[in-house]
Amino acid sequence: MNEHLDSNRQPDAAPPTFPTATPAPDAPAAERFVFTGRGSEYFRIWIVNLLLSVVTLGIYSAWAKVRRLRYFYDNTTVAGTSFDYHGKPLAILKGRAIALVLLVLYHGAFRISPVIGLAGMLIVGLVTPWLIWRSLQFKLYNSSYRGIRFGMRGSLGGAYINYLLLPITVFFTSGLLWPMAHQRIKRFQHNESRFGATHFSFHASIGGFYKTYLLGVGIWLAGLVVIMLAFGGSLLALVGGDRTAIGAASGLLVLVFFAVYIWSFLALPLFFTLLQNLIWNNTRLGPHRFTSNMHWGRMFFIMLTNVIGIACTLGLYTPFAKIRAMRYRIESMSLLPASDLDEFVASAEPPGSATGEGVTDLFDFDLSL
Amino acid sequence: MSQPPIAAWYFDGRSSRRHAVTLDVHDGVAVVSGEVERSCPIDQLRVSERFNRAARKVTFADGAYLEVRDGEQFSALLQATGHRDTTVVRIQQNWRATLAATIGLIMLVALSYLYLLPLAAGVVAQALPVSVDRQVGRGTLQFLDQHLLAPSALPPSRQQAIVSRFTALTTPVPDAPAYEVVFRKSRIGPNAFALPSGTIVVTDELVNLLDDDDALMGVMAHELGHVHQRHLMRRLLQSSAVGAVATVLFGDVSAVLASVPALLVDMKYSRDFEREADDYAIAMFSANGLPRQKLASVFEKLDSMSAGRQQPAPYLSSHPSNEERIAHILGSR
Repeated sequence: MNEHLDSNRQPDAAPPTFPTATPAPDAPAAERFVFTGRGSEYFRIWIVNLLLSVVTLGIYSAWAKVRRLRYFYDNTTVAGTSFDYHGKPLAILKGRAIALVLLVLYHGAFRISPVIGLAGMLIVGLVTPWLIWRSLQFKLYNSSYRGIRFGMRGSLGGAYINYLLLPITVFFTSGLLWPMAHQRIKRFQHNESRFGATHFSFHASIGGFYKTYLLGVGIWLAGLVVIMLAFGGSLLALVGGDRTAIGAASGLLVLVFFAVYIWSFLALPLFFTLLQNLIWNNTRLGPHRFTSNMHWGRMFFIMLTNVIGIACTLGLYTPFAKIRAMRYRIESMSLLPASDLDEFVASAEPPGSATGEGVTDLFDFDLSL
Repeated sequence: MSQPPIAAWYFDGRSSRRHAVTLDVHDGVAVVSGEVERSCPIDQLRVSERFNRAARKVTFADGAYLEVRDGEQFSALLQATGHRDTTVVRIQQNWRATLAATIGLIMLVALSYLYLLPLAAGVVAQALPVSVDRQVGRGTLQFLDQHLLAPSALPPSRQQAIVSRFTALTTPVPDAPAYEVVFRKSRIGPNAFALPSGTIVVTDELVNLLDDDDALMGVMAHELGHVHQRHLMRRLLQSSAVGAVATVLFGDVSAVLASVPALLVDMKYSRDFEREADDYAIAMFSANGLPRQKLASVFEKLDSMSAGRQQPAPYLSSHPSNEERIAHILGSR
């Protein structure tokens, strides 16, 4: 497993050349993912979506979602052909309506009595894995490439183990098992996904996740120590001084808080980058492999300028920001075909229900990556 | 039709095999030729929406589709066959229409912020029974008693005198809801506030600072205004709506970023409600023939106190400035 990891990590240093160029002479060349979406165009789609959603009190948001996803899918290309999204607005609207009713009931339950509220919480906890499972099915079933739909087999039992049992275990071990749980969840998602009749497989080890988390958290903690050392000295000097020093000390505390916040914000892209690379460098579709060579510095620059842009334009820069981040993430990926891409076949499968997807939308789970 | 055939990829929906074909339209029938031969009346085909750079797709009823490689030629063909983009697509692809939509959205947001949201919150609060307010405020006083407030040191007879004088006053609007005035000693200095449960809390420190029962009536009238006009419920509704919108707009980027505009807007609404409660107190003073100068003196005293301490009194945070409120009280008819 580690050998694969290393051989996949190599292209990080030199993006234009890929290892597939050297081995097996008949293997096709690496196919880069291309994203042709542009901020200026997406801005127009976004603003019209937003206006119509507001005017229709949210009803149009289901159509807006389909338009948005179609834009993203149609503009994502690999090996010369694009992806396609097939979700039906009415199915999504229905899912959202049910989700909204559940949400109102859930909030109302606590108002009526804490016992009913707790019972509601328990029911939501029990239903959530099923909803996530259905939403993954819906999302994948409605995605296609070259006319072949994606899909997800995955048993309900697997969903309950990964989305209920594991989080509970993580909770009772104060988060120490989270990297393990994350690996299991990703393994479940990727192993159970398929493209037509061909299955994806996931090869990142638990050790790989721990290494990534240790690196990410380690760098973050190192930054915290530096901040504490830089400010701690002056803070100590101030404490024990007279009353005016207390004002200065509290000012310094605010400064420390901001430094920690900004540092965490800087460290986040590093973490995203490491995770996306780890996950996609270890995912295969049948015999075909993927590479992801995101660089932390670039991702960090994009995220920083995005936040500044959005803050300075009161949100109007949002669609540009979204496209920039998405473009970098998508274009960092390549498909390494082991053979011709013409040989996938479709599989007959039941469509997923939209309820799950609507609910996870409202509860704001991020199921991507 | 004199259109040249258009190059496309054909996918049959059963395998990922890519077939090189050309597309042509004759008398309302689309003809696919090349590696696959197929024809179909154009009214049974579905064409994907127009984007600038994305290849367009033409889908057959059975799920097979064409991915068109030359966008410009295809647009010309669509035009020739009488295909029209939907209104939404035409707006999306037109900068002038998008600009209008942007201005429309900004105006809608501004209008909602200034009028629609306060209006809607008022209507919703009216529709909600007062018992909901009471439910929300239940337990708040108990919590405050445990953490911030201590039992009042004022003699019960003095408390009784203040309350009975206040309850004897006529309210400017009839049908005031049930309320209760309680006195507490506090760690938060001179203050008075109303809870959604209808409880008006007055601190000993405020009673001592004002040292004037007429002025105290003004403070209580202001707080009764909050209760009577259901400001707490309305503010709760308004800040929830603002929070939701801010999360939609900025939540993706940063939770801290999303909370800043929500906080600023909430402060504005808070000041609006304070002015409304001041108006209620002014009206109550007029209805009972009390001198308005006494009402203004509340803010003068709080002002002088905060000037000495170089820190705004808690009573004034998220409130309009004292000068503004005094001028309003003395100036209004």
